[in-house]
Amino acid sequence: MKKKLGALALITASALALTSCAGNGGGASQLPDSDPESKNITLWLMGPDTPDTLREYLTDEYKKATGGKLTIEQQDWGDVVAKLTTSLPDEKNTPDVVEIGNTQSPTFTTAGAFTDLTDMYDELGGENLLQSFVEAGAVDGKNYALPYYFGSRYNFYRKDIWAAQGKTVPTTLEEFNATVAELRTDDMSGFYLGGSDWRNAISWVFANGGELAVQKDGEWESTLSDPKTIEGLTQFQELFKNASNAPATEYDSAPWVNLNNNDATGKPEAATIIAPGWAHWSIGDPVTVKDPETGEDKPGAEWNDETFGTFVLPGVDGGAAPVFAGGSNIAISAASTKQEAAKELMRIIFSPEYQKMLGESGMGPANMEYTDSLGDDQFAQALVESAANSKLTPAAPGWSAIEGKKILEEFYGKIAAGGDVIELAKEYDAKITPLLNSN
Amino acid sequence: MTTVQASPAERDTAPATPPTQRSSKVPHALILPAVIILLIGMGYPLIWQIVTSTQKFGLSSQFSGVAPFVGIDNYVTLFTDPVIWAVVGRSLLFCIVTAAITVIWGGLFALLMKAAGKVGRLILQICLLLAWSMPVVAAMTVWIWLFDYRRGVVNYLLNMLPGVEMDRYNWLDTPGTFFLVASIIVVWMSVPFVAFSLYAGLTQVSDEVMEAAQLDGSNGWQRVRFIILPMIRPVLMIVLLLQLIWDLRVFAQIQMLQDAGSGAGEFDLLGTYIYKLGTGGGDFGMASAVSIFVLAITIAISWYYVRSLLKEDEN
Amino acid sequence: MATLAPTTQAPARRPRDPRRIRRILWSAVAIIAALIWVFPVYWMVSSSLLPNRTLMSFIPTFFPGAETTFANYRNVVADGSFFSALGMSVSITLIVVVCCLIFAFLAAIAISRYKFRGRKSFVLAVLLVQMLPAEGLFIAQYKMISSVGLLNSIIGVSVIYIAAVVPFTIWMLRGFVAGIPAELEEAAMVDGLSRPQAFMRITFPLLAPGLVASGVFAFLQAWNEFTVALVILQSNSSQTLPLWLRGFIQNSASREIDWGQVMASSTLVAVPVIIFFLIVQGRMTSGLVGGAVKG
Repeated sequence: MKKKLGALALITASALALTSCAGNGGGASQLPDSDPESKNITLWLMGPDTPDTLREYLTDEYKKATGGKLTIEQQDWGDVVAKLTTSLPDEKNTPDVVEIGNTQSPTFTTAGAFTDLTDMYDELGGENLLQSFVEAGAVDGKNYALPYYFGSRYNFYRKDIWAAQGKTVPTTLEEFNATVAELRTDDMSGFYLGGSDWRNAISWVFANGGELAVQKDGEWESTLSDPKTIEGLTQFQELFKNASNAPATEYDSAPWVNLNNNDATGKPEAATIIAPGWAHWSIGDPVTVKDPETGEDKPGAEWNDETFGTFVLPGVDGGAAPVFAGGSNIAISAASTKQEAAKELMRIIFSPEYQKMLGESGMGPANMEYTDSLGDDQFAQALVESAANSKLTPAAPGWSAIEGKKILEEFYGKIAAGGDVIELAKEYDAKITPLLNSN
Repeated sequence: MTTVQASPAERDTAPATPPTQRSSKVPHALILPAVIILLIGMGYPLIWQIVTSTQKFGLSSQFSGVAPFVGIDNYVTLFTDPVIWAVVGRSLLFCIVTAAITVIWGGLFALLMKAAGKVGRLILQICLLLAWSMPVVAAMTVWIWLFDYRRGVVNYLLNMLPGVEMDRYNWLDTPGTFFLVASIIVVWMSVPFVAFSLYAGLTQVSDEVMEAAQLDGSNGWQRVRFIILPMIRPVLMIVLLLQLIWDLRVFAQIQMLQDAGSGAGEFDLLGTYIYKLGTGGGDFGMASAVSIFVLAITIAISWYYVRSLLKEDEN
Repeated sequence: MATLAPTTQAPARRPRDPRRIRRILWSAVAIIAALIWVFPVYWMVSSSLLPNRTLMSFIPTFFPGAETTFANYRNVVADGSFFSALGMSVSITLIVVVCCLIFAFLAAIAISRYKFRGRKSFVLAVLLVQMLPAEGLFIAQYKMISSVGLLNSIIGVSVIYIAAVVPFTIWMLRGFVAGIPAELEEAAMVDGLSRPQAFMRITFPLLAPGLVASGVFAFLQAWNEFTVALVILQSNSSQTLPLWLRGFIQNSASREIDWGQVMASSTLVAVPVIIFFLIVQGRMTSGLVGGAVKG
């Protein structure tokens, strides 16, 4: 890693040959470790998911441990790749510790963006860390990015509507597919699923034992044409046609609003949805709540056990189907000049106290020892149950290019629009395989 | 008519005979600040872009600093990839249609401002200013909502027309209607600029000339064709060229529409295509090559204008 | 033009009514067109005054009426980030507008009033740089600004904006300068004014509308830009308004979009532009007529 850092410094220096000015921020890099400045580090967190109390805990604890100042910058999911691409290699401006989407982890890890944390791995939780996320941040058996938190997807449904149609919670995937298709009407989706929403739709591939891509002799290969994958894709096509009224092009929706009664019609738009666990905050009877910050009245939703329920997507032979896990990883920027201070922050993040705090905020803690902290209500149970069986996208170096170019949205959209599954799978295998291995 | 036509001709030649007796240091001093800022702000990025377009420059190159020289490989890939040509064709069509509609519409509004009474003109001007003042991000949010398939006002209003069944019609579902919506939004955003520029040009056409022409028995179209058009030609040409350039590289509007609709390849124009290649896919070498190619296309489109400009210089 | 002078009396001899009726008719058309054009703006403002639940209904509410609430606005500005973004945006925009106008004005005079060596190359260069697609440039722009230590600074982003906007403003101003006959200035010099005096008294006032139009253009570009700002201004404390608005929409989307708040924040971002327009409006519209060249 030292070598890599040296190389980095070299390019940075030569790329920036124009300048003779050290710049105010950059001056810090030359200072010895004993200088208080070298303890001041920056952490990038994604979106608003980490609550304020957790952020305060981190800054306070960091100050206690090192005497330095921790600055937390919040970045938006939609634009973060451009920012990571530019600032992570830039020694003078890189964030020292970054949260990164689990599907982006392999790409940035193989590109050499992160510090090797193998020697800290056991100290930070080792085998207890959620292993699918650990793998997404590992290359050649070395750990670079570690899990930060996980989320998982499960189903929310309208108990009243299901009951009125005499339906009960299904125990197999086939039963689920059939039930939601029967619930569909012209005004209401039996199961609301966007046609291009592959993050939810790949559960049907996983449930049937299929994979998006596999690694053979070190080379990644897209496996959409694998018979098991085809089976899952075909089931999705049927399901979309028979159970969902969503557009074939929809890929980034907020499906939970469809489960609530609409003001104009007094009815919901969907009888069932699949969504990340925190969606339950937005589902329920319409109520007026006070905004905690401003004290203003604003409309909210209040969960009602009479009307709403949850269940885990059932597998082909019962049990829970593997779903695509949400969540993110966390890593130290290789270009950071404050490696020791950054490692100190990692110790705080992976401390039992902070892991429990994550769980208490409804986020799956990276360290599976502390999942109890999620509580034991139906949401926590569904989260843990579905997460235990969750999967991630392939940990291929080029995976984030597949996402960045929206290739799977395109592929699923075409299937949803009624395209020939086998032909499409062949076409997109040819597109995806070369991308998977390049970086 | 002869006296009338003499006037635009005279005005056209006026700037072409600049006083040149001055020492040549003055003009150089005058352009110096612009040259310096352009060299700083655009020079390095342009060179970087050209160099990168000859490299295999992936995300890992950003971190390792290693980007092998591949000569014209990226350009070969570009010219042999049918997908890129489809995007180029789509972008050209979108840009020409949208720019033409924008300029025609803007011109009509400019004429309308001139024809209307004071109150009508003021209201039109204020409303155009309001539309113009909408930040792109805000405007796109509103428009996307207006065209929303379930809650959109457009569908709601169309649906009220007798015999029209537009409930839940998804405008962003197919490329045809997607680009129709995109074009409407871009026209809406660009017309105020065009209308005001052309109106500024129109006010330079003297009323006496117009009235004289009217007395000479020319009809409305003839007056536009033979008096107004020649007089506002310089402004018109610039405005048309700018619209063509902007509409060819339109990015933010299409990207936000894609976020609301579909991100699939057939909804891409050059701007979003380059973005997907570079930022999305991490292939900055290819993205640079396509950028340079777009630059070449833009030069080709504006060639007529550039040439007439250079010719004007030589006189 | 003098030959036409006698005929200008002509309209007075004709009956006035058809002309007035035609004006009124055109005014009506203008007002209808204006209302259609301004509808999205109206929709943004009216939605910002409604509670979210009303907005999520399938039946649009065209007039806020009794449901009017300012809660959306209060919620949006509650954390103060709006005001820091406003400060950033105003500073950057002012710098860009002033620098652009000065640089472009000087350059436009040079290329339309002088012949000099390198003029053609300059004209071509100005034309070419504005044609480069910006989507692929951000890495280079980032490296350049980072190398001089100006990331997250007003100056850093302003430099890039000025370079991006100056070519357009040179073009626009050149058109306006070209529209003013050099003879006017020369005539004034014959009358005994020095060249700078002639320029300041004759040409400059005629250029005012052009300067306003170019200034408005530069203002809007700087105010609206967000793709460059995204990579140059990465720190939360240096956000501009478009970044703030975008972040607001994205954060809102990751839970449940609160359309009322989104519309309120959109309105807030638009208001400073409207104020700016109101200030220059006189110059932009009626001022144009006053400054027009009457042969």
